Amino acid sequence: MNAFNHLHVASAFSAHFGVTRPELLVEAAVAMGFDALAITDRNGLYGAVKHIGACVHFGIDPIVGVDLEVFDSGAPQGQITLLSHGRKDGQGWRVLCSAISLAQHKDKKKPQIGIEKTELARLLANGGATVLLGARSNLGQLALSSDRSAFTQCLNAWVSLLPTRGTLAVEIVSHITEPGTEFSNGQAKRMLDLADSMRVPCVLTNAVRYLSPDDAITADVLDSARHLEPLGLFKPQPNAQAWLKPSNEMQRLAIEICGSRARAAELIETTARLVDRCRLDPASDCDWGRPKTPEKALLGIEGNPFEVLWQKAHDGIERYYPKANRALLDQVRHRLGQELITVNKLGFATYFLTVADVAQMIRDMGIRSQARGSGAGSLLNYLIGISGVDPIEHDLLFERFLSTERTSLPDIDIDVESARRHDIYRSVFKRYGSNRVTLLSMQSTYRGRGAMRDSGLALGLDDDQIDDIAKNMWRFSARSFRGALATKPELSRFAAEVENDRRMNLLVDITERLDRLPRHISMHPCGVILGNSNLLELTPVEASGMGLPMSQFDKDDMDPMGFLKLDILGVRMQSAMAYAVRETRRVSGKNIDLDNIPRDDAATFRDIRTTNTLGIFQIESPGQRELTGKHQPTEFNDLTIQISLFRPGPMKGNMIAPYLDGRHGFATPDYIHPDLEPILRETYGVVIFHEHVIRILHKMTGCGLAKADELRRSLEKPRVKPQIEKFFKTEATARGYSKDVVEKVWSVIEGFSSFGFCKAHGAAFALPTYQSAWLKTHYPTEFMAGLFTHDPGMYPKRLLLAEARRLGVRILPIDVNKSTNEYLVEPAPRKTVEHSIIKTEESDIGIRMALSDVQGISQPEIERIIAEQPFADLPDFYLRAKPSRRTLESLALVGALDSLAENNQGGRLISRGDILARVRQLNALKAKVRNLDNQTALDFSVIDSMPTGNPEMSKSERAQNEFTLTKLDVSEHLIESFRPMLDEMGVVRSNELVGLRSKTEVLVAGVRVATQTPPMRSGKRVVFLTLDDGFGCSDATFFDEAQKRSSQVLFNNRLLLIAGKTRRTGVNGVSIMAENAWDLRALWSQWISSKTESRSA
Amino acid sequence: MNQIREQVQVSVDQSGQPVGFTWRGGNYLVSDQPIRWFSRRDWWLEASRVPKGVGPGVFEVEIWRILASEAKAKHQLQFEFSHDLDPNSGRWQLIQVID
Repeated sequence: MNAFNHLHVASAFSAHFGVTRPELLVEAAVAMGFDALAITDRNGLYGAVKHIGACVHFGIDPIVGVDLEVFDSGAPQGQITLLSHGRKDGQGWRVLCSAISLAQHKDKKKPQIGIEKTELARLLANGGATVLLGARSNLGQLALSSDRSAFTQCLNAWVSLLPTRGTLAVEIVSHITEPGTEFSNGQAKRMLDLADSMRVPCVLTNAVRYLSPDDAITADVLDSARHLEPLGLFKPQPNAQAWLKPSNEMQRLAIEICGSRARAAELIETTARLVDRCRLDPASDCDWGRPKTPEKALLGIEGNPFEVLWQKAHDGIERYYPKANRALLDQVRHRLGQELITVNKLGFATYFLTVADVAQMIRDMGIRSQARGSGAGSLLNYLIGISGVDPIEHDLLFERFLSTERTSLPDIDIDVESARRHDIYRSVFKRYGSNRVTLLSMQSTYRGRGAMRDSGLALGLDDDQIDDIAKNMWRFSARSFRGALATKPELSRFAAEVENDRRMNLLVDITERLDRLPRHISMHPCGVILGNSNLLELTPVEASGMGLPMSQFDKDDMDPMGFLKLDILGVRMQSAMAYAVRETRRVSGKNIDLDNIPRDDAATFRDIRTTNTLGIFQIESPGQRELTGKHQPTEFNDLTIQISLFRPGPMKGNMIAPYLDGRHGFATPDYIHPDLEPILRETYGVVIFHEHVIRILHKMTGCGLAKADELRRSLEKPRVKPQIEKFFKTEATARGYSKDVVEKVWSVIEGFSSFGFCKAHGAAFALPTYQSAWLKTHYPTEFMAGLFTHDPGMYPKRLLLAEARRLGVRILPIDVNKSTNEYLVEPAPRKTVEHSIIKTEESDIGIRMALSDVQGISQPEIERIIAEQPFADLPDFYLRAKPSRRTLESLALVGALDSLAENNQGGRLISRGDILARVRQLNALKAKVRNLDNQTALDFSVIDSMPTGNPEMSKSERAQNEFTLTKLDVSEHLIESFRPMLDEMGVVRSNELVGLRSKTEVLVAGVRVATQTPPMRSGKRVVFLTLDDGFGCSDATFFDEAQKRSSQVLFNNRLLLIAGKTRRTGVNGVSIMAENAWDLRALWSQWISSKTESRSA
Repeated sequence: MNQIREQVQVSVDQSGQPVGFTWRGGNYLVSDQPIRWFSRRDWWLEASRVPKGVGPGVFEVEIWRILASEAKAKHQLQFEFSHDLDPNSGRWQLIQVID
């Protein structure tokens, strides 16, 4: 008998159907002795590139196909498998991509994913792929009916639909299910006999959906997630036979189905022939690995792209180094020459010109942008306008970004204003043509909470119960769920339930099974693929959330497919800063050129050092604030270092403490050898940056920077490390370094390199950090308005409001005549500041709160108000803005109508109570008018004058209304309502902490604004909680014991009271070592009832 | 037709195919080629644990449809057995008899 290979295999990328990742399937296939393997996912090639990559790696032939629904004028015709033929210069792959893109396109005639029969016939007219009619096809379904003639006619219809030789085969598949059902031996045999009688070729498959029978349990859970129903409420899979059976089992199955050895052998042989026909050659069929860029003409290039790039870069020297001296110019020219040689060797000139073209397009649109990542290390990028960071000034390396040692296309990421990102995408499509551009997709996978929710659904568990447990799943993968039960205090209650409740026990097991499986595809947050005019023949596309077409490939598929991916990432901070600049120009006429402000402004650094960094890019988190207190940055490079230090790598590598010790003179820097001093001086001897490791390796071995970066990358591979060690030690010793030095340096490199951070990344991040800090220092009102409007940070808006008050920024209440959907900066006459905690100079501008803050107001209502502004008086507003009754009342309650009342009462004192009364009259009138069905017949004479004499609302009543209706405590902080209890308990205000001695026992209270569990070197979990009490933030640290004591509130409650001891962390830093935490509301009700008891006693 | 749930001793040949069994005092001999298929269990109602690699038998069960008659009688009956795939149990259960 011939060897068998599988032609029909769903991977985990058939979302909510397949169970096994493609790489695992390939590895198993190789172990079982198969020499080819197919991947045939549902509706797409989501896993195809990974499959091909794995096949190439293991040396077997990849086969690729797809499972699709077929329609006949919109009527469903069952499912088919379409298999691409190989070694046809991509013809099969093109057919496959076109068929999928067509199937994915939905419209009125075909509202579901699937392909029309006629389209399929058209695509296969010249061959290129084979349609398999299996158990789920209309033919397979008719095999189960008693209508013999319909069965025969069906196959006849397929034969005449697909007349081209080799485009049609009947799939013989049996999962040995109950006789008379789908996937039974009988169904397979009937199909075989019919096909034989009509001379249609038959092939054997196992319609695989998982690797081993054990995975059938996981498949059940996925079925439940697909059906959105618990197990038992839908028809489940019949058994566990859909696994990747070895060749001998398949041979045996063939005999069982055919009932004769001879027919079985023939079936296996036909299968082998189709397998051979479908073996893909990745290079010629998928243009595997060859970089593709838009055609020259589209970039406006004539002639040699490299010459164009050379000229463009040299033109940039004058623009970016206008005042450079001779020495610097020599350095620039030399370095540029080196970079250009590399780019030319790699043949990437068109790539750089493409990226520069996009960057220019973004600038021409007037949108703030900035290159990020290792690309900032390239002088070429700086000179052709891709990056805004000068790599010479910041001492960054090109080799970290690109070298001849690597041939993959480099990553260049561009950060843009988030609010304009979609505009940019549309422009890219327009500029390069929709046949050359698609968005990138990404697969979200099951993680802890999602895995548990879907597992709970499958078992039919109560939603609330699941939510309760899910809330406490914090920072561990679902795969280690059972392990977490024993170690995480917040799961202790659930762990006890697991011991006693069988279903909870199952929940843990199946949650672990779901971990990391693909869940659904969505638009990648920033990726755009740019190719040549063949792009859509190489990747199937489907509609993205924003409507533009999206490739079915994800970011890991880009390199293997040779696709150029641009990361155009929307950064809210860029939008916030752009907004601040625009508002400054609008209100004061002043033009701020943010990209050219001095980078050494003393006031900016002074403000940063106070640690009041809320709202500043990258350094506003509790951990960064603490680090700012210890570090006390004084110059731009300090920001680069600080941002780089507060990363998982450097934190795990324990780099922070030695660096700070060196900086503050507590320890003498140890450079190990004088040669390393120039490299490590900036960080006091601590190896932090990838660039440090690259330079050290180069310095001590003379291997060149490009090679040094390759060595650095390989350090993370345990198998290669011994070779690198040997190379380093031999070369360094040969260059005269002592054994002691060599050993010491090696241990540093070995231990630290994988923990390091790329300095170019840090420097690119530091730029918006500095720019936002500068704006906050010099234009606090405009900057806070930008933060309110674009909400860029990690904190809730009400905390930003508290920060604005602290800065003395004037907050102007919502006013229907002045407010819009943005937070406008507005000239406002000076008056005394009531709420500012730290008195600052009163500004003559303020921030007008936005209409969108009013809960329940609709978008059309906001738009109408903005369009109809200004309003003369209340009835005028009522008539032209046409607010709903509820919105009108809400606006009155938050004071948004106060100015209208002032207008028509000529200076007479009107209370908010009066306005509310008036609003209620209007609303009553509306009810009456609606009955008359005649809107214009409003008789205002009835309510001509403003009602007066209604009582004014109290301050706390106003505050209460404000908070209920806007979720912002504009006039008073939330925590103030607990003040009597807090004062009695002696709770400390957060701004008093800095004046306390270390190790003082304290109680702090506030609203939770952040919870973080950063990675720790010890592997032990530490929880950082930040509370805001209106006087600033207090940061508390919870170690093991404290986590146990407070386990029930640690991740749950919003209003908290924390007990602990103060700990000084730096000149301006105090944090609290927490001992316990309680729910503030629970304490409050106890306190209240104890008060009433003591009173009644 | 009779729905039953009785544990029965079944003797099988080398390939695992039933050849005979004893039921309610009678000795039955399999008289025709039996039909076998795989069915499933509602593991979420029965199992206490389902970790990865939990082993055969939790999910799947083998069903045998057998024509058999008592040693001396000519009258054939149709039996359906379930066979536990867990090698530690290997239990045969008669689930249905059709006269």
